Amino acid sequence: MPNSFQEDEKQSARDAARTIGRALRYIGPFRRDFGIKLTLLLLSFIPMMLLPWPTKILVDHVIRGIPFGEEPRPYPFFLEPLIQAASELSPTAVLVWTIAAQFCLLVGIGAFGVASRERNSANGDGIPQGWDTATRTENEANSGFSLVGGLFGLLDYRFTMRLTQKLNHHYRTHLFGRISSLPMTSLDDERIGDAVFRVMYDTTSITQACYALVLTPLTSPLYILLSIWVLGLVYGWVSPIVFAGLAFLLVAFIPTLPLAGFQRLYASRSRQAGAKTTSTIEESMSNVLAVQSLGGEARELDRFDTDSANSFRQYRLKVLVDLITYSIAAVFGGGLVIYVFFHVGDGIVDGLYSPGDFAVLLPFFVGIASASIDLGALWIRLQGDSTGLNRVFFLMDAASERDSESDRALGPLQEKLELQAVSFAYETGRPTLEGINLTARSGQVIALAGPAGAGKTTIAQLIPRFINPSHGRVLIDGQNIADYSLDSLRSQISFVFQETSLFDATVEDNIRLGHPEATESEICEAARLAGASDFIESLPDGYQTRLGRGGGKLSVGQRQRIAIARALVRNTPILILDEPTSALDPETEQRLVSALREASRTRLVIVIAHRLSTIREADEILFVEEGRIVERGNHPHLMNRPNGRYRQYVNMQTLGTDSPTSPTTP
Amino acid sequence: MQDNTARYQEFAQLGRGGQADSLSFRLILRLLWRCLPLLRTVRGPLAGLVACGAILIALFAVPVINVVNIFWNGVLEGGPLSDLQATMIGLDPDRFSSATGLSVAARKEVLRHLVWSVAGLLVALTPIFIGLVYWRIWILQRVNQNLRILMIEKLQALSLRFHDEQRVGDSIYRLFQDSAMVTQLINVLFLSPLETISRFLFTLGLVFLWDPRLALLLMLAWPPLFYLGHRFARPMRVGFRHAREANSRLTSIIQETLAGLKTIKAYGAEGSEKKRFSDASLEAFTAAYAARNRFVGFKVLTFWCVGLTLVIGVGFATGLSASEAPLYGEQFMISMGFAAANSGVWNLGFYNNFKDRFGDGTHTEHHLLDLWGTVQDVATGLDRTFELLDLESDIEDAAGAIPITSLSHGVRYRNVSFSYESKQKTLDEIDFDVPIGSIVAIVGPTGSGKTTLMSLLLRLYDPDQGSIEFDGRDIREFTRTSLRENVSIALQENILFGDTVAENIRYAVPHASDERVREAAEIACALDFVAELPKGFETQLGERGTKLSTGQRQRISIARAILKDTPILILDEPTASLDAETEHRVLQNLARWADRRIVFLITHRLSTIRHADRVAVIRNGRLIEWGDPQQLIEKDDGAYRRLANIEAGKPLRTEPANSQTGEP
Repeated sequence: MPNSFQEDEKQSARDAARTIGRALRYIGPFRRDFGIKLTLLLLSFIPMMLLPWPTKILVDHVIRGIPFGEEPRPYPFFLEPLIQAASELSPTAVLVWTIAAQFCLLVGIGAFGVASRERNSANGDGIPQGWDTATRTENEANSGFSLVGGLFGLLDYRFTMRLTQKLNHHYRTHLFGRISSLPMTSLDDERIGDAVFRVMYDTTSITQACYALVLTPLTSPLYILLSIWVLGLVYGWVSPIVFAGLAFLLVAFIPTLPLAGFQRLYASRSRQAGAKTTSTIEESMSNVLAVQSLGGEARELDRFDTDSANSFRQYRLKVLVDLITYSIAAVFGGGLVIYVFFHVGDGIVDGLYSPGDFAVLLPFFVGIASASIDLGALWIRLQGDSTGLNRVFFLMDAASERDSESDRALGPLQEKLELQAVSFAYETGRPTLEGINLTARSGQVIALAGPAGAGKTTIAQLIPRFINPSHGRVLIDGQNIADYSLDSLRSQISFVFQETSLFDATVEDNIRLGHPEATESEICEAARLAGASDFIESLPDGYQTRLGRGGGKLSVGQRQRIAIARALVRNTPILILDEPTSALDPETEQRLVSALREASRTRLVIVIAHRLSTIREADEILFVEEGRIVERGNHPHLMNRPNGRYRQYVNMQTLGTDSPTSPTTP
Repeated sequence: MQDNTARYQEFAQLGRGGQADSLSFRLILRLLWRCLPLLRTVRGPLAGLVACGAILIALFAVPVINVVNIFWNGVLEGGPLSDLQATMIGLDPDRFSSATGLSVAARKEVLRHLVWSVAGLLVALTPIFIGLVYWRIWILQRVNQNLRILMIEKLQALSLRFHDEQRVGDSIYRLFQDSAMVTQLINVLFLSPLETISRFLFTLGLVFLWDPRLALLLMLAWPPLFYLGHRFARPMRVGFRHAREANSRLTSIIQETLAGLKTIKAYGAEGSEKKRFSDASLEAFTAAYAARNRFVGFKVLTFWCVGLTLVIGVGFATGLSASEAPLYGEQFMISMGFAAANSGVWNLGFYNNFKDRFGDGTHTEHHLLDLWGTVQDVATGLDRTFELLDLESDIEDAAGAIPITSLSHGVRYRNVSFSYESKQKTLDEIDFDVPIGSIVAIVGPTGSGKTTLMSLLLRLYDPDQGSIEFDGRDIREFTRTSLRENVSIALQENILFGDTVAENIRYAVPHASDERVREAAEIACALDFVAELPKGFETQLGERGTKLSTGQRQRISIARAILKDTPILILDEPTASLDAETEHRVLQNLARWADRRIVFLITHRLSTIRHADRVAVIRNGRLIEWGDPQQLIEKDDGAYRRLANIEAGKPLRTEPANSQTGEP
């Protein structure tokens, strides 16, 4: 159970490696798509191998007028037929044909020679984003990429974007499902913003890691090998260009290695700060009633200002670490580029190469170098993702209430519900309940009464297994509920919470929440029983009225009645109400209590209440104090005990110890 | 008032896909223009940054042309260098600018000098580059932060009429995603167009020097580009708008589901909520896909236009180079030191330089069109930002509003009427007068308007008719802040924040001493259970083992209201979750504390009402009884008496029945 959503800020390299490796397991369902993406990538290598040559033809044969066949280096065999054909043409014709060929390449793959800077025109750059984690990751969630442009690039790009989205959709839905099956006690209201951030912005790390782990190690070596082979055909197998290109592997790896820890640290701080800001907004917007009525605006603004500024600062520092990392690699890489210029320059001066060869050697060198950089920088690039992964896995690993769930279905309550010697303690706290024994039969109304904080709600929460007893058992018709599936248990219990939560949907949908198949007449009937039909009908659109945020347009008492209707419409064998009437006026309450009496004929009703008028109607009253049941019996029975706790409690409420003028003086 | 409700409803609907495209080119420019004030706080740094960037670009322009020329002409071809070129890379001009050309050894020497000069320059520039990028990010983030603060201020200033309609997720999305678009502002409105257009013009001039016909070709790319820009702008905006709305809905769904998770679990609705999430997530992705597809399609089409221009231009130049045709600006090139004498022709150096320049020209054209695509999304985001900022709060301080100094006589409701929706009145002509030193119980059926009545006192809403007066002055004449400083409230829903117990009690009075926090907790009977928490007052709420029961939360929220120490205190159902004993203690403490103040108690409980010296009975928004509880109880058929009887356990029927309490 996560006690707080705070994982370790410091991740060791080994932890990071393990986290990243784990991301690979999530590829499973998408193997076929990854296969297609790989194929598309490999296909785009072919034009990359052909692109440099037209420029060489233009420079050597058209501009410098070297006749075909007299160039210092031969053309690779796959170009031979073309060169043969070209050698019979005039330079002008060669020019025209070359231009035509480049035009085809332009339409097809959006590229022609190395003079163009537009090669990756289809990679989707240019979608605007801000300088914070949230906008960057939202972009990442929808990103496509392709090595080439034009029609092929467009196709590739669209496929990739779809794949990215499919992966992200899958993972965020999965994480969302995990969060909603966390034990009820673990997700506090204060952490909602954090969870929003994780679902929306941390899950994309899985996709990014999958791409990096699958595509780069497979395609980069292939690209390098292919380039070496083509170069080898023309310039010999042991070309210094190749070594210079390959050296980028080390250049990208070694200098950046010591910075990996910083990358993780700042990426993680940046995400945490973003999540904290989300929590702050979420909290102050959800509680705007409290903020405005307590005059907390300045305080909330201040809190937001601090958090938001900090999240920007952390992101900025993360970018700074990125910048330094890449600059260090770039300075070393610059040395290699210089070496290549030396080598090619010398070669041309010495007549080993023609000037046109420069137009071929340079792109091949750049190709090998960037593929090597991709490989060498794989580790450092994954560091940022590993922090996002860490945050996602943290929640996925949190014990969910369904982890060790049995799939046996529990039959509906026929006879009785029992609690046998049940104790409960929150993880570190004192025991909240001790030695609770209780037997409740279908057809009864059981009331739990007692001072605030005595443990009444905790007892009720044990029944639908919102929490599990530390000791003892809860039995339905003699079966331990822990041995059955949650769904079969909860489908026979309707629980009305002390603090009702309504959704921003219509009245009807709010009532229907627990029973999607309910007919309209069932809904109206439930609303009538709950004493809600009058006010619902006076709403502008009756049952179709949208309730606004959290049911904000209704009074608390009205919300309470809708929540009760929601429970009644399910028609379950067990009905549990936690202070259902605290905000109801006496008249409404009285009607509700008789409705409950009525309902209890065919089911078990458990009510937690402070109000005498509610408690009095119960078949059995359990008086709870400090985690124990101290008295039990019906109202007259308990009132007969001269010094009974219940009797004192009732007297306090009806008489008031200092108020002899009470109208109910017996 | 009602138009505001309508406006807020419309605003909330905007996030639900109701908004079609409403932006025109003029509106976009106006939108961007409106953001300018946000730059005010970063004016200095921004000007500095632009200046530094411009200086760097200018310093670079000359070396770049020369580096390319030296490499191709000097090193590869063995042609002579100009004096400037030789000096630049630290060679003796006399030796390297002779008309005869360079020897093999000299060419290698030139190469070494060239390479090391470039390398040295790059190494020296790296830290400057890092510094500039960091500086730029800092500025942009500042601007974004300014906008976020404005938005939060606006959200807080908007009344509850707005917040009743607004979804939390939408606010989060607008604050994060939409506001971030402002960081693009400087880029898309100034820096990029300025840089790109000047670079294009500069390039156009240079190309003109090579050959005017090629410059004309560069210009010919514009008409189709303009057409594409015009044709695609609207679909792109609509797409981006839908994508933003869909993502904002998705954020709302997560937030709402998590906020109601308890209920969802209790009702086994996890499955349907996951389905709802999944549908919304897919919808968001589909919308983003459509938007980005249009954007990328647009980019591919524009690329074809400029690519075609580039292919033709380079082909033409190749032909010229093959015949070593003279450059149009031959003399200019030589006199500027870009070429040695007699070498101002289409040689390899100028050919490659031309390819770079012409490529740059088409690149800037393409970039401007990209920018146009980007602007569509930026404008869409900023539009959503301004939708929020433009909302008028229906509760503003009146001109000349004054702060409240003290309350010495009392509070009067004068014929107050109010309604949330136009259809029915929530409060109807409420009229009563409360002298200072009173405890007033407000009773009545649920939904009769009790809480609303008190909200008006805080100006969470304003009455539609009538007025509320403090010491005879309409509260609308006071500043809202001072009003709220003089009224404190413990809400029916006990909202606590994710902070320590002490900070929660201190919420409205951040600088209150520990002693005062203790005192307030003592009055609210919270001391006992707080003492038992793991860290007492310093216990962080919401963390392990510190689940408070509703009754405990209630007492913290009462303590919070008491600590504010205001002349008016409102307790909305203060005792609903308290047991009888605690309730009694709290109310006794309050009665002692409330001397010379006004306390409003909204309640159903007889045991609470008994502590009041006045009762207001509200039904269907009307004040039906008002007076001393002792007298009201005597009134036959009185509404109060009836309520009291039911609460005390007498059956609904009016004939006197035996009290069941205490009956043996």
